[in-house]
Amino acid sequence: MNKTGLIFFPAFDWAISPTHPEREERLLYTRDQIFEEGILDNPKLVEYKPRLTEKADIQRVHFCVPDIETQTTTAHFISAGSALKLGDALMAGEIKNGFALVRPPGHHAMRVVHGNRGFCNINNEAVLVEYLRKKYGLKKIAIVDTDVHHGDGTQDIFYHDPDVLYISFHQDGRTLYPGSGFVDEAGGPGAYLKNINIPLPPGTGDEGLLKIYQEIIKPALALFQPELVINSAGQDNHFTDPLANMKVSAQGYAQLTEQLKPDLAVLEGGYAIETALPYVNLGILLALIQEDYTYVYEPEYNSKKLKQSSEVNRYIEEIITYWHNKLQEKAPDKESLFGKEHIFSRQRRIYYDTDQIEEHQLETVEYCPDCPGIYYVRSRASRGYGHDDNMWGVSVPLYACPACQKKAYELWERTKIMSNYDYYYLQDKKADNYLQEKGR
Amino acid sequence: MYIGIDVGGTFTDGVLLDENNDVLQSIKVPTYQDLSKSIEEALEHLIRGTDTAKIKRLVLSTTLITNILAQKHYEPVGLLLIPGPGLNPDKLNFIGDVVIIDGAVDYRGRVIEKLNLSDVDKAATYFSKKGIHHLAVACKFSQRNPELEDKVIAYLNKHYPHFNTMASHNVSGLLNWVRRSNGTAFTLAVNEAYQGFIQQVKETIHKRGIACPLHILKADGGTLPLEASLRYPLEGVFSGPAASTMGALALTEESTTAIVMDMGGTTTDLALILKGAPLLADKGASLEGYPIPTRALSVASLALGGDTSIKSSDNKIGFGKRQGPALCLGGPVITITDILVYAGLCHIGEKDRIKPELDKLAQSLQLSAEELCKQVTDLVIDKLEKSINAMFKTWEEEPAYRIWQVLSKKERRPRQVICLGGPAEALGLTWGRNKNWKILVPPHAQVANAVGAALAKNTIRMDLIVDTEQKTYSTSIGGVGDKLNKPLNTVEQAHNFALELFEKTKDKWDIQGDNANETEILYEEGFNIVRGWHTAGKIFQIGVQTTPGLIGYVDKGVKTNE
Repeated sequence: MNKTGLIFFPAFDWAISPTHPEREERLLYTRDQIFEEGILDNPKLVEYKPRLTEKADIQRVHFCVPDIETQTTTAHFISAGSALKLGDALMAGEIKNGFALVRPPGHHAMRVVHGNRGFCNINNEAVLVEYLRKKYGLKKIAIVDTDVHHGDGTQDIFYHDPDVLYISFHQDGRTLYPGSGFVDEAGGPGAYLKNINIPLPPGTGDEGLLKIYQEIIKPALALFQPELVINSAGQDNHFTDPLANMKVSAQGYAQLTEQLKPDLAVLEGGYAIETALPYVNLGILLALIQEDYTYVYEPEYNSKKLKQSSEVNRYIEEIITYWHNKLQEKAPDKESLFGKEHIFSRQRRIYYDTDQIEEHQLETVEYCPDCPGIYYVRSRASRGYGHDDNMWGVSVPLYACPACQKKAYELWERTKIMSNYDYYYLQDKKADNYLQEKGR
Repeated sequence: MYIGIDVGGTFTDGVLLDENNDVLQSIKVPTYQDLSKSIEEALEHLIRGTDTAKIKRLVLSTTLITNILAQKHYEPVGLLLIPGPGLNPDKLNFIGDVVIIDGAVDYRGRVIEKLNLSDVDKAATYFSKKGIHHLAVACKFSQRNPELEDKVIAYLNKHYPHFNTMASHNVSGLLNWVRRSNGTAFTLAVNEAYQGFIQQVKETIHKRGIACPLHILKADGGTLPLEASLRYPLEGVFSGPAASTMGALALTEESTTAIVMDMGGTTTDLALILKGAPLLADKGASLEGYPIPTRALSVASLALGGDTSIKSSDNKIGFGKRQGPALCLGGPVITITDILVYAGLCHIGEKDRIKPELDKLAQSLQLSAEELCKQVTDLVIDKLEKSINAMFKTWEEEPAYRIWQVLSKKERRPRQVICLGGPAEALGLTWGRNKNWKILVPPHAQVANAVGAALAKNTIRMDLIVDTEQKTYSTSIGGVGDKLNKPLNTVEQAHNFALELFEKTKDKWDIQGDNANETEILYEEGFNIVRGWHTAGKIFQIGVQTTPGLIGYVDKGVKTNE
């Protein structure tokens, strides 16, 4: 099968607010360009109708506080559902790859969702990964995030999962939202080096992107041997993006896509809706179909202006050397990473820019020699007014051992009696069982 | 009274209907090389003894365009393309010789790359040398801003007046440059022959004292005044399947949801009617393998008809080309019709002629004659089922770009088939029994196509885009678009503007309320153009159409298997 599946869902009737970057207009010009090109008549392309995701598909990934209804709109169900539909088409052998050109985006949505962060509520890629693993018994999946912002949500969700490799390159967190994505965030003790961050200096262009693909991403994928590669396809490394400072062009994105050959790509950010999106989306689509994309260029394109500075080159060399060495290192064994207590905890403060929420979180993973171990989290969200939302949740990994699964249910029962949270969650990915209760 | 005439590949069918849509006259005459002769002959018969002053409309459906193209009765066309950034134009599917020149317009209609008129000189020299005198000029996003196309054409007209030129924005405003380009080239190719033909037809009709409005049937199952069709000749292409589908609808009942199976000698056409409206192909029609902007019904065409021959290939049953009529009608080999006759499903010709040949074939396949008949019928039914399921799937997977479209429930897959054409009824009854379909066989099924033409509504659809920052508007209709000379701030104002423009276009095309056609809004939406921290303008998208369908129904005496 040599077809590329496309779900184009511009959500012409959905916006965060009328002038927010994530508004109805965002994919309007992309629609114009793609339609005018006549590319939808290409027999190698098959367009699918979007569908809604099921609630369980969201519960498999998120703890939505207080509930899914509060955190989502129909558009979120369709955006995630579209990714799943292409996933099904891929697994059924109807298509060789697919592009969910959909909004709203999702890669800043973390496991615990108190509100909208970086325009995201529901993590489309995470919902897709967990759905494919549950439904088709896949295990190892790699996500390559090509958005200019660090996909802190996706990182958070798979941080302790040894079977999901998350690779993100992005503009350095010291210069851009969300301020994370440094090399030392390399995965929890049970999934060490399964989280690869490649922070890049402002001013990185096509050259740099392709180089870090060749030198870091490609070897990391070869090492991990994923069954599937998913591209979290943000487009805001573009030289005209209003929210970032990179120098990548449509050609760069198309070449990267051609080399990466993702099985599925899901649109993330990209807010130069006129100067970048029509061209970048077209370039990516052509690369996926394996048609000539060399004629796709932006009117503003100027190769001289987009050349990287020698300083940027030097920085990129450094980060390549870093990851080169790191990937060759023999990783310490899991038990020693967990430490003597056999428990890993980290306390964090998470800021929700869109909804202005301050979250305080403590997450814990317990060591298990036979599986990734149970995970539990407690979290308090302050809005600066009214009552803070306090939640507690426990998660059983998809490939948990029976002992850990049992332990999670005991913990769930015990915590409900012993503590005083507003909301309790049990997420059993193994049994596909999701429970939620209100506190007293 | 209404007249419908459908000029098909082999036969020309005509009907005369009275005010109650009852069939007063019907006729089948052979289709001659000169199509107007067939029309004349059919008309002659239909109006014999009728007061022609009572005839209120006459609708014509013809295969003229396909004939002109198939017989290569046209001059070569060149394409002068202005693509700008995007797909590699060398790899696209264009009819005719192509020259690509500099220049580009973007999706908002802004000129982002200038023309280089010396390119036009070079192209003109090239086309002249090749003996090409018809030139289609097509620029991406020319519907949003026709400036570059118009400049090239003005330049050509001034310096190279021997070229016959046409700009793509005048042919179609559809957002698909490849289809627009091909549509323009085909329009140029068939234009002269089409104009001549329409002139001839008009004379023929007027000579008989018929002074009513004349229409042609479009590929989407609506009609267009003959005069307007002179500007958009491609609208009438593939009206054959539209005629029979609309006919099937007219002969059953209003708001039917059903499959229409029209079985001819060599092909079977399948179409889908949903609540009284035919399903349209999502992206448009293809002509001679080239995509064109014409909206057409979604039709699955199977190379399988009553005259399809049956043979043994590798010890299996195989279907072959038509070798002539059925054995029972004096033909040379066993056909699907013979199988149906032998099995007692239909009664035509001499059944005795079938048995010896059938036995021979059955023997070679180590089957009994009865088993062979059953297996052939099953195979045909399997092919039909497969085709229909693919059609259902396409319909259910129609893209949706808005939340409400994703949420809107589709009809359930229909379980009834309207059968048209000779072998369709016989085959349909077996099909219905085996696979649990309700089979409908309408009266006058043999002239359903002419009935469909006679009763199809006058239709027009317009997709409008207004850009208040660029101060322009464009539509899907070729040549309808311009500068915006009044402020539009709300969807409501844009809605009124759309309706005004729509009425104007209808007047220009002489589309009147012969069917009291109601205007319906398909969608309407407004987008804020936000630049920096302020709203720089609005883009409005509004879809308007006259409700498609029929002006009446002939729902008497439908036979069913229930």
